[in-house]
Amino acid sequence: MISTRWLRVLVPIALGLVLFVTACAPKSSSRYADIQTETTRRNAPAAVTKAAESGGTFNKFFPGSTGTYEVVPAQEKKGFAEYKLNKDGKTVAMLAINDTAGLPTAAAKFKSSTETIAGYPSVEQGTTATGILINDRYQVKVLSRDPAFTRDDRVDWLQKFDLRGLAKLESAESVVVAPANRKAKSGKPTPANSPEASPIPGLPPILSPQPAT
Amino acid sequence: MSKPIFKIVDELPTGGLTVSALRSLDFVIPGQWNNLVGFDNTIRTVTGETDEALVQQIGERAITLFNDKSEGYQRALWLYETVDSASGLLGTAALMNRVGQDTFLGFLKHLTPKPERAQSIDLSVKLVTEIVAFCQINGIPGDSIGDFLAALKDYSGESLMRMAALVSFDGLIPLGASFTDKALSLVKGMSPSELGGNQTFKGVKDLIPGQNDAGKLNFITESFEATKRWMDGFVSSKGLTQSNVADNLSKFIDFSEDKLDYLGALLDVSVKYYRHTGVQTLTRRLVERAVAEI
Repeated sequence: MISTRWLRVLVPIALGLVLFVTACAPKSSSRYADIQTETTRRNAPAAVTKAAESGGTFNKFFPGSTGTYEVVPAQEKKGFAEYKLNKDGKTVAMLAINDTAGLPTAAAKFKSSTETIAGYPSVEQGTTATGILINDRYQVKVLSRDPAFTRDDRVDWLQKFDLRGLAKLESAESVVVAPANRKAKSGKPTPANSPEASPIPGLPPILSPQPAT
Repeated sequence: MSKPIFKIVDELPTGGLTVSALRSLDFVIPGQWNNLVGFDNTIRTVTGETDEALVQQIGERAITLFNDKSEGYQRALWLYETVDSASGLLGTAALMNRVGQDTFLGFLKHLTPKPERAQSIDLSVKLVTEIVAFCQINGIPGDSIGDFLAALKDYSGESLMRMAALVSFDGLIPLGASFTDKALSLVKGMSPSELGGNQTFKGVKDLIPGQNDAGKLNFITESFEATKRWMDGFVSSKGLTQSNVADNLSKFIDFSEDKLDYLGALLDVSVKYYRHTGVQTLTRRLVERAVAEI
């Protein structure tokens, strides 16, 4: 009798709990569900703005192979070029230049930068990447792919790029970037800022905290 | 819209026949391939970053890049998937022919009803698929054999494993030691219409450079000629033979119980390894680009 009475009490509670929990559980939603929806809807903005410099433009600014280090081409896409830095046949770092036109968050992180490398604002991103921003537009990064390749090595290699040459490319202000079709994500706070708030298209308006060491 | 890239990578198998077959090639390139699966896991492993906010940021950029068709990553995935499933059809026909016959090794040697012709086309088309997919992923004009050859020297990880599997499973095992010579002479003597009728070629022909089947055959021949030296060098430097590949395969795939089991195993091998390692390659590239761009 007691157990039946207990059951009468327990069952509704248990049922309620089950319903409550299942109703609240995200329906197996991924942490990437929002970005997936946003980038696959009709008229989704291009991943790279038309105004971005072609990746091939950046090739001549990369450092060449030197000593035991070999610089090997890896990727060349619109707005982006990347080389591997190999030592003894092993990739120890990646060297990259990208155009932040149309990628305001990439440039925004430099606004809070207090350090410079070769006179350009620099940031540490995570534990393996060091980047600098040229002309408020071109981001140059060195990313360690071997623990032995330290921040000092990254700083050293950043200075081997032809940064002055890169600085002679157009700056963001002189280029008409059209982020009109790029809407800020609604609801979800991203590490980004609101592109609409930017006085100059393509320039990041608001600082935001970036993961850094 | 097809399946999201993060799901595709999350669902890559950690075991099973494709993975076992690829593991059997560890003796060829020791430690080079560790079957990296899972989208976030790939981000963490490739970049060495563990900060969740940063992982999220990298993942979002990678997904954005993949979902933009003009970026070429979807075409690369399509190529890897299609060449596998198209060549799988060849495998199915061959296997049906062999059911109930032979020992395992005998079966391997006679994988196809017309092994040399069909396998030669298969091998050549898969090789060209690698070139075209490589160009799509890395942003090089689609007919740039020279750029591919330069990059091939630097192939590592899953990309090198895919080439090892191509040489072993689509070259050495079905065609034997001089598979590059055999395949090249057969491809050279082939008519465009014969190529046009091949199932593997039909699957991916739209993305192979060339105005028509004759032009595409030309590109395939050129690609094979250009890559032949690399393949021959790979085989000799690794000491690869038909029997040591088969022996290692037999250590990883249990085919002793019933013939149908190993038939299924081999079918699976022929169907999935390009896709499996292809997804791994393109995810790595996406992640490398994303982390550099953000």
